[in-house]
Amino acid sequence: MAEPSTQREPGGEIDWRAVEASPEFQDLVRKRRSFVLPGTIFFLAWYMGFILLTAYAEDFMSERVYEGLTVGYCLALTQFLMVLVLGLMYLKRSANVYDPLAARAIEGYAQHSGRYAARSARDGGNREVGSRAAGSEQEAAR
Amino acid sequence: MIVFADVNTTAIVVFAIVLAITLGITAWASKRASSAVGFYAAGRGITGFQNGLAISGDYLSAASFLGIAGLIYIFGFDGFVYSIGFLVAFLTVMFLLAERMRNSGKYTIADVLAFRLRERPARVAAALGTLSVAAFYLIAQMVGAGVLIEKLVGIDFTLAVLITGTFMLCYVVFGGMVATTWVQIIKAVLLMTGIVVMSIFVLNKVGFNPIELFNRAEEAGKAKGSTFSLGPGTFLKNNTDMVSLGLALVLGTAGLPHILMRFFTVPNAKAARSSVVYAMFIIGFFYLLTTVIGFGARAILGQKSVEAAGATNGNLAAPLLAENLGGGEGTTGGDLFLAIIAGVAFATILAVVAGLVLSASSAVAHDVWSSIIRRGRDSEREEVLVAKIAALAIGAIAMLIAILGGEELNVSFMVGLAFAIAASANFPALLLALTWPRFNTAGAVTGVAFGLISAIGLIIISPIVWGGPPGAPDTGAFKSYDLNNPGLISIPMGFIGCYLGTVLSKERGNERSFHELRVRSETGLGSERALVEH
Repeated sequence: MAEPSTQREPGGEIDWRAVEASPEFQDLVRKRRSFVLPGTIFFLAWYMGFILLTAYAEDFMSERVYEGLTVGYCLALTQFLMVLVLGLMYLKRSANVYDPLAARAIEGYAQHSGRYAARSARDGGNREVGSRAAGSEQEAAR
Repeated sequence: MIVFADVNTTAIVVFAIVLAITLGITAWASKRASSAVGFYAAGRGITGFQNGLAISGDYLSAASFLGIAGLIYIFGFDGFVYSIGFLVAFLTVMFLLAERMRNSGKYTIADVLAFRLRERPARVAAALGTLSVAAFYLIAQMVGAGVLIEKLVGIDFTLAVLITGTFMLCYVVFGGMVATTWVQIIKAVLLMTGIVVMSIFVLNKVGFNPIELFNRAEEAGKAKGSTFSLGPGTFLKNNTDMVSLGLALVLGTAGLPHILMRFFTVPNAKAARSSVVYAMFIIGFFYLLTTVIGFGARAILGQKSVEAAGATNGNLAAPLLAENLGGGEGTTGGDLFLAIIAGVAFATILAVVAGLVLSASSAVAHDVWSSIIRRGRDSEREEVLVAKIAALAIGAIAMLIAILGGEELNVSFMVGLAFAIAASANFPALLLALTWPRFNTAGAVTGVAFGLISAIGLIIISPIVWGGPPGAPDTGAFKSYDLNNPGLISIPMGFIGCYLGTVLSKERGNERSFHELRVRSETGLGSERALVEH
């Protein structure tokens, strides 16, 4: 597989253990996990709760909130709301917390960051929602 | 069923326009898809927003558009439950996989497994999972395409399958991921426009008051013989089966190779992340509007159109509603609106099947041919050529099975199976490879095998195969087993397989590569760069 444009970094150049051991990396993993793990448990519970109610509590789900609007439909709408809110929360936290931490965790690899900076500015920058606040600084180090 | 006396010429004109636009894109894309990174990953130059649209185009199949609107028309609330699962699934993708996939993979999901596991067995396992999912999904979509085009346009089923298959192969073979992506983007725009316009027409009839829409749908649903209800229990009658389906839907998306592959087309993890959120917005909005279409069809068409729409699935409810909103059968407006919605459905199918064939051919060329058979000694040109040949072969086989199986093949059964395999075989191995330090090759192979075999095996003994309507007491050979959806058993089996294989084998996981994978997947250090266009 000769793929000149997408060469993998030669493994020897980067001391992966050193990056992994850095306080910034540990901080990144801990902070991201402390959001993603409860977030995952919450959305799975809320969703499976909805599914269980649909399966086993038909009468409750068919009850009326207002005229033709049922409890089931309202709970279904809360699922849409949950997806929206969790999605935006994660974007915001990523831009404000995770991306800067990731950038600092790999800062030591100047030869890479130098090269990546030029690249990212061209291919990555400023095309994404919710990340403008984070700017290109941490992105540059990728 | 609608029986068109003649071929619907308006619809053919709309179809021709869709085909002309997509072929134009393919011609433009062909130059950009000659390298491997161009063919598999569109040069990684797709932006977050574009990819969000393309994910929506890749994901929202005709089963989502016509299928869910139809189920809501026939059964009411139960049809809506599917869409909730399809949407919430993107949280699984976003939290657990999207960025990690982008940071650690290259072209296929096997790349992520092969990163820290022994390459050949890991790739065989992942390729098997990918091909199984793609095969069932692809055949289901081809049959669905044939049936719909036959009904909507009046073209014979076999010819309809051949046309769909041929254009799908044109996009993939000549335009690779670049053409596939843009076909998906255009489809997403067409689909969203179509459903928004239809929803405005429907809501206009009820003074833009959704509650009034529910009331009228309920009133119309009281007709004799109606199965419509604003509450659950009319379609998915078996409670355990419902839970099993719900689980497979929410985890299955995170194992669909054609969706995960889309994350390799963006320049970095940040774009991968934002593309999921864009996709969530688009897909969520879409599913909200399918309830307007479904309830609208019930309120406006009533019980009398159930036979014409398809009594068991209501697949043609949305096109019939469009005809009615345009002025009714035989009117110019009615014909035109029906033709446009049929064209949107056609574009929808084309975009999905192209994504599926591309993911399957990538697994064959990149994983099986290049890495396993040629052990990496082939050239990039050879690999892309093999991918194109594989696409042709896979496409031809899918067309053949669709034509031989014919209209009688149960489409929803095969889509359900695809989601179950994705959730049981692909998802556990991928997740554990990225997060569990001890995970090893034996674990991945056992996990994929357990997930795949249990999902397929349980489907084979399920009531849906042995006859009887969904949810009815099993009348087949396996009386004590009454689940049509295997997820509740096969997903845990996939995880158990991964665990047992790992702890029972003497193999020590390659620790160095786990540290590398961990840093890389969390930070993006060392990940594949975007192709710089000259």
